[in-house]
Amino acid sequence: MKRCQAMEIKTDDYRVWTEESEIFFYGAMRLASSDAGAPIAALAASVLASNPASITLNLKDLHFLNSSGINLLAKFTIEVRKHPDVRLVVRGTPDIPWQSKSLPNLKKLHPAVVLLMD
Amino acid sequence: MSGGLALWNVQKLSRDATSEVGEGLTTANQEYIRSYAESTALSVDLLLDRVHGDVKALAGVLQAQIDDPGRQQQVGATLSQEAPGSAKVVYDARGDWAQNLPGAPSVVSVWGYLLGADHSPLPGVQREIEDSTVLDLVAPTLMASGASKLQMYYIGPKERPIFRTVPYTDQAQTFDRLYPGHNKAEFWEFFFPGIYGSWQQWARDSASRPVADDITQTAPYTDAITGKLIVSFFHPLWTRDRTGIAGTAGADITLDQLAEVVERVKIAGTGFGFLTMSTGNVVAINPSGQAIIGLTSSSDAGTQGVTGLERSLRGSTQPAIASLPLDQNNDGVIQHIMLDDKGERVPYIVVLKRLKPTNLWSSGPIKSEMMSVGIVVPEREIYASLFAAQKSISRATNRILLFQIAAIAVSLLIVFAAVLGISKRITAGLRALASAAQRLQSKDYSVRVNIPTRDEVGAAGIAFNRMAEQISFHTENLEQLVDERTRELGDANQEISALNEKLQDENVRLGAELAVARQIQMMVLPKQIELEAIPGLEIAAYMRPADEVGGDYYDVLQNGPRVKIGIGDVTGHGLESGVLMLMVQSVARALQETDEGDPHQFLDRLNRAIYKNIERTNSGKHLSLAFLDFEDERVTLSGQHEDVLVVRADGAVERIDTIDLGLPVGLENDISKFIATRDILFGSGDVIVLHTDGVTEAEDQDKTLFGFERLCRSAQKRHGSSAEEIKCGIIDDLMAHIGIQKIHDDITLVIIRHT
Repeated sequence: MKRCQAMEIKTDDYRVWTEESEIFFYGAMRLASSDAGAPIAALAASVLASNPASITLNLKDLHFLNSSGINLLAKFTIEVRKHPDVRLVVRGTPDIPWQSKSLPNLKKLHPAVVLLMD
Repeated sequence: MSGGLALWNVQKLSRDATSEVGEGLTTANQEYIRSYAESTALSVDLLLDRVHGDVKALAGVLQAQIDDPGRQQQVGATLSQEAPGSAKVVYDARGDWAQNLPGAPSVVSVWGYLLGADHSPLPGVQREIEDSTVLDLVAPTLMASGASKLQMYYIGPKERPIFRTVPYTDQAQTFDRLYPGHNKAEFWEFFFPGIYGSWQQWARDSASRPVADDITQTAPYTDAITGKLIVSFFHPLWTRDRTGIAGTAGADITLDQLAEVVERVKIAGTGFGFLTMSTGNVVAINPSGQAIIGLTSSSDAGTQGVTGLERSLRGSTQPAIASLPLDQNNDGVIQHIMLDDKGERVPYIVVLKRLKPTNLWSSGPIKSEMMSVGIVVPEREIYASLFAAQKSISRATNRILLFQIAAIAVSLLIVFAAVLGISKRITAGLRALASAAQRLQSKDYSVRVNIPTRDEVGAAGIAFNRMAEQISFHTENLEQLVDERTRELGDANQEISALNEKLQDENVRLGAELAVARQIQMMVLPKQIELEAIPGLEIAAYMRPADEVGGDYYDVLQNGPRVKIGIGDVTGHGLESGVLMLMVQSVARALQETDEGDPHQFLDRLNRAIYKNIERTNSGKHLSLAFLDFEDERVTLSGQHEDVLVVRADGAVERIDTIDLGLPVGLENDISKFIATRDILFGSGDVIVLHTDGVTEAEDQDKTLFGFERLCRSAQKRHGSSAEEIKCGIIDDLMAHIGIQKIHDDITLVIIRHT
């Protein structure tokens, strides 16, 4: 099994890193455009490229995500949908408004998504 | 250090040697002086012994005659007949004495009181004269042999003290001259008062002699015959029964003879000897010696008897001499004294050596006398050898010291030279290094040092050269590098300039793009007149694009009695978002115009159109989009967007979630299965508040979001107000919340009030 390398994207406002096949999001992500989210998309794509059994998006510490970011998550979910053997787990919390508002959409886009709102 | 030690050693050695030699020489010198004194004393004793011997020989002959009267008479008669000149005396009227005529071997003087009325000697006296002629037989021989004597003589006993002397001199005449009055007085008492009494005592008790010898010596006195200072040696002759005095044998020696012995003393340069009586009266000394020890001589004319000599040490002008002890304790002892020599105090050594004891008559009874020989030597002379030795040692020491110092100096010079040489070599190396370093400092990187030594300085030189090479290499490389970089920078600068120009162009283009987008966005928004023309609804809308053009959308579409209000939010900003929004608006308008009354169909078709267009433009965007269809007192809500707020006429609020009413538009081709509708009662006075996330997600300075709750309260407290008033109130509250913070997103607020 191809093991993905630990990667990290870090700005003043947010941080995104991987641990094994789990992608952690931290802070407040306010992407000006989908181009601004390109590194994060690449990071997520590289995790997917390693063809893991499961990918987890850990969003519990992502307090804010604007519509460009949500678009990024939706696109990634649609991408994972093309790999039926890859299980997508999304961990979030209902305490953060954008998550309860937007994360159910991911399940709509890809019903196999395991959405853990705890 | 070692030089100093050597010097000290030499000094010490010199001191030790000086002290050793000094001690040795001092001992030797003192021994020498002592021996000299002893031998001088022995010489004097010897001389005196010889005189004693001569006197004793004479006395022996005469005593033998006395002891054999018969022979004495026979010898006397025979000799008188043989040589009548010795026995026949002639009266001298002037002197009133009788004396034989010259020509005889001896002179015999007969004093006036021994002559009869006829001026011829009394019978006993004549016999004495004849008996004493035996002197002619013995004395000349004795005079010629033995010690040098002035004269030898026989003096008769007290009763007839004739005076016969060998050799012949004008004896009585001299006596008269020197001792006037003697002819009237008894001989012994006149000349030697006390001496006769002593002898008489000796006759009775020989043990009473002060010295166990019959020889009696006189103190020096002026000889009546020769006028010289003499010393007499008497030997009393005893009567045949040994009870009385039968006369005296005697001999005189001049003082010169004694003096000769002591004056012969020649020790060191000016050392001299003297002979002194135990009284301190110096009987023999040479004139220079006398001057040195400060003696003054005088004749003791005032005393009785023969005229003696007074030249006592006690009368010396030198205090050290005047107090010089002559007792037995100082016999042969070295004494150091200071003598005054013309005001200068000069150290002298004095040794006194006693002679053999002798019976001495000075005046009065005979006493034992021990004369002393004195030796006087200036210390500087006796120690001359010592001083010379010390001087030579000192000279040797100085020479050695000089050699030592020279040796030390030479070795120091050698060491200095060596050190100088070495330090010169070292400093030469260091100097070379220093000057090379200076040249290096002044950017001469070609500098190299040549230090031939194989020491640390040499090593430093090699290290320096290596360093200089490296510096040179790096510097030259650096220059190349700088050249290259400068060139590259120049190129980059040109590129940047070009890029800048481009960027400016791009900015202009972007600016134009934004201006176009903004215009499109605002252009397609419903006009106030349109809104006012809608019956039954009071609509107030607010849209404020963010700094960049956003993608908010709202529209109010009216087709006959049906009013459709849409609100949406395109992801991202810019022209692309604006165009997408325009597309959405156009499609929505078109669908409205086709009388599509089914909200589900309406949204599904719109999504398909937009999805396909997005796919074509490859924009990758999507949007949230919800529609409200107004019909009488009912509103049908469809599509997924922000929550819808309903403020009832009585102030009650309802929050309507739209999550389950659709899916973002443009993500999927077919979202129909996700689309749902919800009917909301919308009575008169009720107010619906639509917004985009630009409202709820607006941040204050603490990054606190405005949030739905604030929006809700802001709307609720204005229930009953007109849509416009509510809109303005909420916007006021929102702006108050934002303050001076940046507005990240487009803010859209639509207030719909049922009239």
